Amino acid sequence: MIAGHVGPIAQRLPLGLATLLLAVPLVAAGLSGMFAGGGEAWDHIVSTDLWRFTATTLGMLALTGLLILATAIPAAWLVTMHSFPGRGVFEWLLILPLAAPGYVIAFAYADLMGVAGPLQAALRDVSGWGARDYWFPNINSLPGLCFVLAGALYPYVYLTARAAFTTTSLCAIDAARTLGASPLSTIWRVALPSARPAIVAGLALALMEAAADYGAADFLGVRTLTVGLFRAWSSFGDAGAAARMALILFGLAIGLQWLERRQRGRSGTQATSKRWQTLDRPPLSPVMGWLATGFCILVFAWGFGVPIIRLIWIALETGDRGTASLWAPLRNSVALASAGAALCFAIGITIALGVRRGGIVASAARAVMAGGYAVPGAVLALGGIVALATFGLNLAGPLALIILIWIYACRFTAAGAEPVQAALVRAPASMTDAARSLGAAPMTRIWRVDLPIALSGATVAALILFVEVLKELPATLMLRPANWDTLAVRAYDYASDERLAAAALPCLLITAAGLLPVLILSWRLSRARPGESH
Amino acid sequence: MRPHSILVSAVLAAATLVGCGNPSAPSSETETATDEQQILTLYSARHYDGDQAIYDAFEAQTGIEVRARESRAPQLLETMKAEGEASPADVIIAADAGTLWRFKDAGLTQPIASEALEAAIPGALRDPEGHWVGLAKRYRGIAYDTERVAPDAVDAFVKLADPSLDNEICARSSSNIYNLSLLGHLMETQGADAAAAWADTVSDQFARAPAGGDTDQIKAVAAGACSVAIANHYYWVRLATSESEADRDVAARTAFSFADTGNGPHVNVTAGAVAANAPNREGAVAFLEFLATQEGQALLIAETKEYPVLDTVTLPEGLPAAPVSGAETNLGRLGENQVEAARIYDRAGWP
Repeated sequence: MIAGHVGPIAQRLPLGLATLLLAVPLVAAGLSGMFAGGGEAWDHIVSTDLWRFTATTLGMLALTGLLILATAIPAAWLVTMHSFPGRGVFEWLLILPLAAPGYVIAFAYADLMGVAGPLQAALRDVSGWGARDYWFPNINSLPGLCFVLAGALYPYVYLTARAAFTTTSLCAIDAARTLGASPLSTIWRVALPSARPAIVAGLALALMEAAADYGAADFLGVRTLTVGLFRAWSSFGDAGAAARMALILFGLAIGLQWLERRQRGRSGTQATSKRWQTLDRPPLSPVMGWLATGFCILVFAWGFGVPIIRLIWIALETGDRGTASLWAPLRNSVALASAGAALCFAIGITIALGVRRGGIVASAARAVMAGGYAVPGAVLALGGIVALATFGLNLAGPLALIILIWIYACRFTAAGAEPVQAALVRAPASMTDAARSLGAAPMTRIWRVDLPIALSGATVAALILFVEVLKELPATLMLRPANWDTLAVRAYDYASDERLAAAALPCLLITAAGLLPVLILSWRLSRARPGESH
Repeated sequence: MRPHSILVSAVLAAATLVGCGNPSAPSSETETATDEQQILTLYSARHYDGDQAIYDAFEAQTGIEVRARESRAPQLLETMKAEGEASPADVIIAADAGTLWRFKDAGLTQPIASEALEAAIPGALRDPEGHWVGLAKRYRGIAYDTERVAPDAVDAFVKLADPSLDNEICARSSSNIYNLSLLGHLMETQGADAAAAWADTVSDQFARAPAGGDTDQIKAVAAGACSVAIANHYYWVRLATSESEADRDVAARTAFSFADTGNGPHVNVTAGAVAANAPNREGAVAFLEFLATQEGQALLIAETKEYPVLDTVTLPEGLPAAPVSGAETNLGRLGENQVEAARIYDRAGWP
C-alpha cells in the first residue's frame, strides 16, 4: 500500500495548491481593474462600444464554432471510419494547422487576399478591371476573421473527435449496422452521441482560444472584446477598463465551460465492452471516395497549405530577412515551451485527478483554468507583475523567467487538463468502482487506477501544451528578460513594423518547431486503437 | 510518488530546463555583474535589429552595459506602474511623444537636466518641463496617386475633407497612435470642433474600411483601390528603397506629400526619458546624450529611415530632404489631446 491512509485535507491539498497557483494572476489583474478607478474612459467605452465589442465576440465565436464543427467532424469521421484515396496521409496532414499560430495564418491571408495581393492583382490583369470594379471577399471583416481562426483552430475538434471515434467500441457501431441502421443514422444516433463530450471539449478549447485571440483580430481590424481591451489600454491608457473587459471574457469562458460540463453530464454512454476488433474501414464508392479526398484537400489547404506556401513564397521573393540571427530565438522558444509545458502538464494532471471528487475547490479549479485560457496573456502577465510588486519585487534577473513560466501555466493548463479529463471520463466508472469495492485506499486508487488512465490522455496533453506555449505572444512580449526574444516575439516585431517579408521567416520557424510534436501526436493517435493493423 | 510531488518535481524539471535552455543568456550573471560593471536598464517600445549596434557603441564608449526590455508601450507603462519604486528601469524609449507624455503623466519620469541635450535638440521636440527629448523625427503625410491627384490637392490635411476626394481615401484604424497624434495636432491648429468635423468628413470619404498598416494603404493607392492614403514618410521611403521590384513599383506610382496641418507638417518623434526611480541616473542621461551625437543619431535612423534631430547628420540613402518649416506645436500637446482624440474618432465612426 502506498500512502494508504491520508486524511481528507491532505487529499485535497494538491488540488487546492494548484488552484491557488493559477488563481493569483487572474485575481490580481481583476482586483487591480476593479479598484483602479479611471471611470471616465470606462464610461466612454460603455456608452459607445462595449455592447458592439461583446456582440462581435459572440458572433465571432458562433460563426467560428459552426465552421469548425462543419469541417472537423466530417474530416475526423472520414479518416477514422472509411478508406479513400490518400486517407493515411490526411490522417496526419489535417492536424498540422495546430503548429501555426492564428496570427501567422492571418498575416498570410491578409497579404494573399488584400487589394494589392497576388490574387486580386492577377484578377485585374486577366480581366482588365480596375480595383473598384468588382467584388472580392474581404478578409478584413468578421467572417474573414472567423475563416482564419476556424482554419487555425479546427484541429482541436478534429483531434478530440478522431480520438473519440477511434476509441469508441466498434461493437456499438457494428450492432447499429447489424440492426439495419443506415450509415448516416449510425453516425447520428451512435457515433456522435458517444463522441459528444470529446467534441464539445475540443470545441470549448478552440472557442476559448478564439476569444483570447488578439494577434489575428487586431491584424484584420475586427473589434472583438480582446481588441477593445487593448484599445482601452493603449488609446485611453485605462488598465482598469481593460481589466473589466477581461472580466467579461472570463464570464464567457465560464459559460463555455458550463456548456461543456452540461453536455458531458448528459451523455450517458459508457464504453463497457473491452473487446476490440480489427478495424475494418469500409471503402467509399469511387465517386464518394474522391469527394472525400477533395474535401480533405480543401480543409488542409485552408488551415495550413495555402497560408504556409504563401509565407514561404514571401520569404523567398524578397531580400528583407532582417539582420538578426534567429538561432537564439529558436532556442529560447523551445526552452520556454518545454518548461511551460512541463509545469502546465503537472498542474493539469493534479487538477484533472482532483476535480473528480467535486466540491467547491473543484469548481474553483475549473473556473480559474477556463478563465486563464480565455483571458489574453497580457492581462495575466499584468496580474503577475502586480502580485510580484506586492512583495516589493520586480522582473529583474531570472525571476522574470519563473514568472513567465508561471503565467504560461495560468494561461494554458486548461488545454492540458481537458484531454486528461476526457480520458478519465471515457474510462468506465466501473473500474474505479471495482477498485473501491476491492478495498483500495483512496491514494492507492488514484495511483494505480486513475493516474494510468489519465496518462493515456497525457501525451496528447503534453504535446498540445508544448505547441501552445511555443505560439504564445503577449505574455512573452511583456515578461521575457533581456536577450530572451522568442520566434513569436520576432515575428510580431517585424509584422508590427510592416515588414511582412522579414516576419515570414520566424513565422515559418515557429510552425516548423511545432511540426515535430504535432507529428508525434498524430502518430500516437493513429496507433491508439488496439485493433489498428499496421 | 503522490500527485503533488509530481507537481513539485515537474516545477523543478521546468526550472532546470530553462536553466539549460540558454547557456549564453546573461540571467545568471545579473546578480554578480553589478559590482564590476555599470548596467543601464532600458525599457524600450522600439524594436529594430539594429538597436543592438547602438547599445554596443554606447558600451564601447562608456563601459556601461545596456540591458533592454522591449515591449509595447502600454505594457511597459503598466509594468513600471506595478513595479513602483522597485522598478529597475533607467531609460524609457518610445516611438511616439504622446506615449512618453503618458509616462510623464503617471509620474514615471524625471527632469533630464542636460545642457548638452537642451543645446542640441529644438525646443518644440522637447518636453517643456524637460521630462523627455525627441531623438529622431518622422512625418505623417499623404501618399497619393500621381496620375489622379494633383500635388496641390494634398498639400494640407484639411484638403482631405474636400468633396472631390469622396470615396478616394484610405487610412488605417484610429486606434493607432500615429492617427491619435495627428488628430491631437489638428485639434491644436484648427480647434477641437473643426478637428472633429474633419474626422467626421474624412471617415465618410473612405474608399474602404480601415484595415492593415500604413504600407497596406500606400499599396492600395498603387493598386487603384483609393487615390490618397494617410501614412508616415518612412513607410513610403522603405517601399521606394526596397529590394523587391513590386515594392519599388508601388513607390513609383505614388508620391509622398509632407502635408500641412496649419502650422507646418505633422512631426512626431522617437523620444527618450529618464525613469523617475532610475537606479543609474547618470548612465541614463549619458545614454540619451549619446543618442543626440553624430554617431548615436546615425545608428538610430539608419534602419528606420527617420530624420535626425541634428541638422548636421547625413541622411540615410533614399530619404528626401526634410521640409524646411519645423513644428510650432510643442509635441507635449499631442499627448494631452490623445484621449479626446480617441473619443472624437469614436464619435466620427472612424473605426
